[in-house]
Amino acid sequence: MCNACGNPAAPGHWTEAGAATPGDRLRARFHRAALLNRVLKPYGLMAHDDGVVPGIQIGTLSGARVIVDHLDHVWAECDRLLGHPVDPLDPRFLGDAAPSTHD
Amino acid sequence: MTDRTPGAAPQSDTRMRLTVLGGYLGSGKTTWLRHQLHVGAFGRVHVVVNEAAETPVDDALLGRAEGITLLAGGCCCCVGRPALIAALRDLCDARSRLSAADDRLDRIVLETSGLADPGAIVAAIQTDPVLINHIVVDETVVTVDAIHALAQLAGEPLGRRQIEAADRLVLTKVDAVDPVTLDTLRATLKVLNPGAVVAASVRGEGLALPPLPPGTAPAPLPPVAEDARGPITPTRLHIDPGIDWSAFTLWLSALLYARGDDLVRVKGVVRTPAGRLLIQTVRRVVQSPEILPEVPPEQGDMREDDTIVFIGRGYRPEDLGRSLRHFTGRTS
Repeated sequence: MCNACGNPAAPGHWTEAGAATPGDRLRARFHRAALLNRVLKPYGLMAHDDGVVPGIQIGTLSGARVIVDHLDHVWAECDRLLGHPVDPLDPRFLGDAAPSTHD
Repeated sequence: MTDRTPGAAPQSDTRMRLTVLGGYLGSGKTTWLRHQLHVGAFGRVHVVVNEAAETPVDDALLGRAEGITLLAGGCCCCVGRPALIAALRDLCDARSRLSAADDRLDRIVLETSGLADPGAIVAAIQTDPVLINHIVVDETVVTVDAIHALAQLAGEPLGRRQIEAADRLVLTKVDAVDPVTLDTLRATLKVLNPGAVVAASVRGEGLALPPLPPGTAPAPLPPVAEDARGPITPTRLHIDPGIDWSAFTLWLSALLYARGDDLVRVKGVVRTPAGRLLIQTVRRVVQSPEILPEVPPEQGDMREDDTIVFIGRGYRPEDLGRSLRHFTGRTS
């Protein structure tokens, strides 16, 4: 943990367990940001991870931006911004892998 | 019984392992623990005992541990939680003062009171900023009284919560019930928690269980008060081999955030580029994924690759698979 900023607050979030080497971890971060963007776009939110700044950045269309530590906090932040959680069992996510056309 | 003996735990991280021992009042927790300590099953272990009542009685029985902390006067999943956190922090402090080359504590066993919900305790430990850096919750063992469990499960929400939170269920007093009752109980436990390893013991000593006869009917589980949103049902979800791990974690973390109150337990093994990962959650809390050895253990179906069991309510079981396919399918 860094004495100045306290990052990371906890050793390895569980969602980061699938990557073993530093290169894999970096690739996984970029890949995760891309996936997250596709999920959040219909909600008017976006995710950004440049691989340098720790954590994941969540932004709104109006330009507000917040840095969160890991995916759990991403969903909590989306809940705060949207007023309801992003629910994977929402009908919009139950189609057969077709991107949703409605919002 | 299980391949997770202390020595087999992946020691790449040096955090202490914690075993949570739960089970209903009088279900044989201390008897089982005393025998495990006697045969040295836990290595260098410190035992933390929580008594909900003000009068500690059980601590006199546990002489074989490195040390014992007694938390009397409050169940540590609710009113006694600050005392538990403080006691665990003290243990972490004491261990941190020793160098890694010294004989340090390997493990803490937390014997909960019979009224505790193990899930709430695991959640408390994993959200504490100090403890998360020093302690890995390794296994939740729940003792089940073979004589009384069926009656308790019929009407006690707490009894069911304890069963649902378990990684390993130890049936106690199995010599005192007839085989038919025992089979019914085992079938019932399988309904409540299909992912748990089931073992049996008599006065703490392990006993081999014969295979459960196929077609054994579980006892009916009438809905109890807190089940207003329908019964808790298990769903077995097969996931595609070579699944995109990032997409999977994205999906599961969102699912737990949105549905954590309904999903009492998720457990399964996923094959990732880093190895076979054992994933388990209790409500919203995910335990650190454990990398399992490559050779699947002989005990078979409990650790089937790429299969995840979801135990919960409030959703249509088939929606889980559809939603996961949607999250992973868009990437291909």
